[in-house]
Amino acid sequence: MIPAAAPRVDAQPFLRAFVSPAALCALGLIAALAAVLQYSLRAHIPGSLDAGAFTLANFTALLKPLYARVFLDTVWICFLTAFFSLLVGYPLAYALVRTSNVLVKSVILVTSVTPLFLGEVVRTYSWIIVLGNNGFVNTMLLKAGLIERPLQLMFTTFGVVVALVHVTLPVMVIMLAAALAHIDRDYERAAGTLGAGPVRAFLTVTLPLSTPGIIAGVTTAFAWTFSAFATPQLIGGGQVNMVSNLVYQLGFASFNFPFAASLSVAGLALTFAVLGLLRLAARPLERMGPH
Amino acid sequence: MPRALSQRLFAFAGVLVVAAILGFLVLPAVVVALAAFNGRAILSFPPETWSLRWFVKALAYEDFQAGFRNGLIVTGWASSIALLVGAGFAFALDRYRFPLRGAIEAVLLSPLVVPHFTVGLGFLIIAAQVGLARSFTTVVACHVVLVLPFVLRSVYVSLRNLDRRFELAAASLGASPGKVLLTVTLPLLAPGLVSGWLFAAILSFNEFTASLFVTAQRTQTLPVAMYNYVREYADPSMAALSVMYIVATATLLTFANAYLGLGKVLNVEHAR
Amino acid sequence: MPAERMAPAAANVVPLLGRQDIAVRLDGIVKRFGDVTALQEVQLPIRRGELMTLLGPSGCGKTTLLNLVAGFLSPDRGDIAIDGEVVTTVPPHRREIGMVFQSYALFPHMDVAANVGYGLRMRGLARAEIAARVAEALALVKLTGLGDRRPRQLSGGQQQRVALARALVIRPKVLLLDEPFSALDKSLRGSMQVEVKEIQKQLGVTTIFVTHDQSEALSLSDRIAVMSDGRIRQCGTPDEIYRRPADRFVASFVGDANVLHARLERFEGASAIVALGAARVAVPADALSGLAAGAPVDLFVRPEQLRIAEPGQAVATQGIVATHVYQGGHVDLYADVAEMAHGRLLIRLPGHDAIARWPVGARIAVTLGDAETVAFPRGADAAPLASGNGPAQT
Repeated sequence: MIPAAAPRVDAQPFLRAFVSPAALCALGLIAALAAVLQYSLRAHIPGSLDAGAFTLANFTALLKPLYARVFLDTVWICFLTAFFSLLVGYPLAYALVRTSNVLVKSVILVTSVTPLFLGEVVRTYSWIIVLGNNGFVNTMLLKAGLIERPLQLMFTTFGVVVALVHVTLPVMVIMLAAALAHIDRDYERAAGTLGAGPVRAFLTVTLPLSTPGIIAGVTTAFAWTFSAFATPQLIGGGQVNMVSNLVYQLGFASFNFPFAASLSVAGLALTFAVLGLLRLAARPLERMGPH
Repeated sequence: MPRALSQRLFAFAGVLVVAAILGFLVLPAVVVALAAFNGRAILSFPPETWSLRWFVKALAYEDFQAGFRNGLIVTGWASSIALLVGAGFAFALDRYRFPLRGAIEAVLLSPLVVPHFTVGLGFLIIAAQVGLARSFTTVVACHVVLVLPFVLRSVYVSLRNLDRRFELAAASLGASPGKVLLTVTLPLLAPGLVSGWLFAAILSFNEFTASLFVTAQRTQTLPVAMYNYVREYADPSMAALSVMYIVATATLLTFANAYLGLGKVLNVEHAR
Repeated sequence: MPAERMAPAAANVVPLLGRQDIAVRLDGIVKRFGDVTALQEVQLPIRRGELMTLLGPSGCGKTTLLNLVAGFLSPDRGDIAIDGEVVTTVPPHRREIGMVFQSYALFPHMDVAANVGYGLRMRGLARAEIAARVAEALALVKLTGLGDRRPRQLSGGQQQRVALARALVIRPKVLLLDEPFSALDKSLRGSMQVEVKEIQKQLGVTTIFVTHDQSEALSLSDRIAVMSDGRIRQCGTPDEIYRRPADRFVASFVGDANVLHARLERFEGASAIVALGAARVAVPADALSGLAAGAPVDLFVRPEQLRIAEPGQAVATQGIVATHVYQGGHVDLYADVAEMAHGRLLIRLPGHDAIARWPVGARIAVTLGDAETVAFPRGADAAPLASGNGPAQT
């Protein structure tokens, strides 16, 4: 990829100093991923952390219904999370961008962004307190007399998705807000002068122009959710398993790193496949965005 | 200012929806706060008695203290290294042409898409093979790789928004490239660099999934210590710790918004 | 057409003429933004089919006024009526207006035909009719055949035509133009202005046009409302505005003006005689009413009405030539003259021999001839603005 007329070295001072460390980090990451790939192709030696001879047994084992199930569940949870994050995040992003009140803007921004920086464990723990049998939701509903026995919210897919939406919402709001902020207000005004009421102007002009942001948000939400571990681990409690939880169990409970590695590789392949599909589906939509 | 009734109802409904969503976002924090100040170990809403004992217990808990110290060490190193590496590379990306730039960029940004447990597993395997299993070095290296994308993006955006003519003016006045960098570029980029570092630090401090894989008992960071605690004990010490976490983070972000303009950094300001 | 003049006491009130058909009426409009009053008691009737220009420097309130007519803003006091119907509380999408934005605001996610047809779709017209009217509109702006292009594939001039077509195809009651030519190259601007004027006349659509460019206003308008600081200073035809400015602001904002210290000699019927040097000119008496004979006044003279004095002509003032600016068809000659209120005297001389005949440093004598001038009491009203005569003065 060396350009045809390479510029003189002294026209780019400090080039090596700036690029070498980054290249080193990139190599480190590649080495880590290569290690995972390598282990996935080697046999598991029970009781040892080393791996044995080359084999495809780890991947064929993935075809068992048990593991296929986990993959499907994971994809399903990721889609649900991305979908609801979009639904809930869009109004918030819109309000954030369109409000003229600086205080409201700050409140929305800080409130949306803070969960992002709290870390998985704190957020997940808070949801345990909200969703548990003695938790906030059940206590309130029991007191209000709406239910007689506590609802089982923990250890359910519902609970996991709600917590995951809470985790993903900040990212979604940020990406949507960034896209919305760059839509010139004159488009909405023009639509207004042409007879479109606020709702129609939104549906025919603002929404289509925000599609690149929607796509970016959904894509990021999907990738983030796939990476989630603490939330399904603590709220799912073994009943709801995503690929991440399975990898951890295999790696640290059974010390079967090769199998854990093959799960990771398969998961990675799945993620890329889904993201690739999303990109393809998005291509015609992307032409709608502002150039 | 008279406005049509339908417009006002619409606006009102909008306010309700936004308030409800904000309520959803804030709910866990509020609930956790209620649990943290509860005088008894059993949850109840509202608490029957109020007390600060869980805060005392959380602050005194050795694993939390060790986790906090380790977290500071790891975060301090990781975000600073990431800042240096990321800022340099972002600069080269913005201005220079060099081979493999696309490939390196793609690899460095991949942690946004590659699950943290995969990265953690990978670093664990390499560390085991090299004999550095679960030492601080491994943890720091892993964190650098994980927070680098954010630093890269933050600095890159700042560079794009920088008016190159300032640098050209400095050069025309006789400043060498190095001097221009030190006296013009860096000062102008400072807000972007600081916010990049802040992002990286907060994300690194709170990083859990990969850390779970690469830390050992003696190097465990605070999130890992908290996770282990939750799995064994059911008292609200965690709630107290969470409250301290939330307050600290929210305060930090409010200041960041006021002084650095979170909106600008996150690119959510109006184009016009 | 009798001149519409403002009596200084009742500023901002533009008297209604006879039984003209009023398409847009702005009644007592007041608009504040925080502590800033953007519009103060603005009164403006706009006739059906006319092209009314709102002209003024930035901050004068012209864009605010346009946004009020469009419905993007609500006035704090006052009413807006279109075709006799009060629309002050009606939202933009129900006002039947067409607007061309400064940035054109062509929807990037639709092609040209979809852009132009947008307003018709909102009105629920049948597909066939929409197609027909879109084709008609594109033909009107001379863009036939470009219906399937995207806005980003068009040049600036083409984009502007699309914006115009989109606004006109819905047959609006009022057409609003917000500095539509400011984004175009100078060379393109002239031809576009002519085209827009022709289309406007052809369709007979009432048009409100906002600009800060006074030459644009003079060339396009049926009437101009000159604004500053939230008030209308004068409303009249371009000729009236140029030759009979109602106050100092209008006199200096529209066209170049030399401001000379002179003296009021006497009143003579509807005129006043002003003395400058050995020269005497007649100016309208209204602006000087109340002054005594001999009072100092400021005389406003257009550069093209000054001449270098021939022997025997009454000399108004004398000075030394400071610099020339060659403008192709004419020469702008700047001279340092004692009676100037500020800056240098600017004389616009046709041809090109002025440079040789009166070189820099030459002494010249200036005559007023039969110039049409105006005069205002010395030192009244706002300080003169922009359109500087030669090097700026503090």
